[in-house]
Amino acid sequence: MAAGAWSRRSLALQLAVGRLAAPVWVPLAVLLMRFVLRWRIREAGRCRREYAKLLEERRPLLVVANHLTMVDSAVIGWGLGSAIGHVVRYRGLPWNVPLRRRVESSGLWRTLSYVMKCVPVPRGGDRQEVARVLERLAHLLRSGETVLMFPEGGRSRSGRVDPEATADGVGRLIKEVAGCRVLCVYLRGDAQRTWSNLPARGDTFTIATRLVEPRTGLRGLRASRDLAAQVVGQLVEMEREYLEGRSAS
Amino acid sequence: MTEEKILEKVVDILKPYAKDANALANVSLETNILSGLKVNSARLVDVVLAFEDAFGIEVGDDDADKVETVGDAVRLIQGKLA
Repeated sequence: MAAGAWSRRSLALQLAVGRLAAPVWVPLAVLLMRFVLRWRIREAGRCRREYAKLLEERRPLLVVANHLTMVDSAVIGWGLGSAIGHVVRYRGLPWNVPLRRRVESSGLWRTLSYVMKCVPVPRGGDRQEVARVLERLAHLLRSGETVLMFPEGGRSRSGRVDPEATADGVGRLIKEVAGCRVLCVYLRGDAQRTWSNLPARGDTFTIATRLVEPRTGLRGLRASRDLAAQVVGQLVEMEREYLEGRSAS
Repeated sequence: MTEEKILEKVVDILKPYAKDANALANVSLETNILSGLKVNSARLVDVVLAFEDAFGIEVGDDDADKVETVGDAVRLIQGKLA
């Protein structure tokens, strides 16, 4: 699984453009979340310190999270680093994998997703196209960038992590990138019941992280499936702990 | 194993995953598994793994990526059994 020369060059250009624009768009995005939408993240400082340590180790790092709203990737990015932190250490701001259909819905979305480290993916379509996206993501991971993926594909309609909805893409990526670590992230707003477009205004998020290095003795598709299942199993466990903690408090 | 036998077995395997029963009833080698039979893309791996178990073959990621139609699946299996 290796991205072609053209693909690598286009990613390098996208990265350079994004880095140049980051001093503008990253603080704006954080200001919007913090002061307009009035969102808060509990223990963001602890989360950011842990993440910064992982970045210093310079090993491939895939961030995998549960998915409840359309802005989860932005909130997770904010939870993993401050605006200044991401501008200074741009590689710490994870790449995202939004739906191609949404990205291509308007010129504005296309421009924003280009600048904001996105690699659009077709949903429910041609596996060869998905494979090409995975090649690009594997290249990014090997070159020291971090990538954020939602293994369930879409937002969970039940509001719970759904292992049945898990595709094999996450597992395939872990299998293909030697030494890939996975930072499992469980994010949920206090007011979040099931899925939605946006979290409630003024909501406070809990963000929990857990680092794992999935291994498998299986081969081929079974290996991808096993690795993805291990990661989603962690998210299920983290969700259980979150819900138990919430009902106890 | 003949193409007809393989096709019969492939259709049997697809049954629990196909959301469009009418399309399954009229299935042909040209039927697209995702758009025609409305198989969830996340479940396509399960389908291919079921092919592995049913025919005693091993399918790699690259081969699985090429499976779009029922005919692709039949030809892949035929090739592996040959």
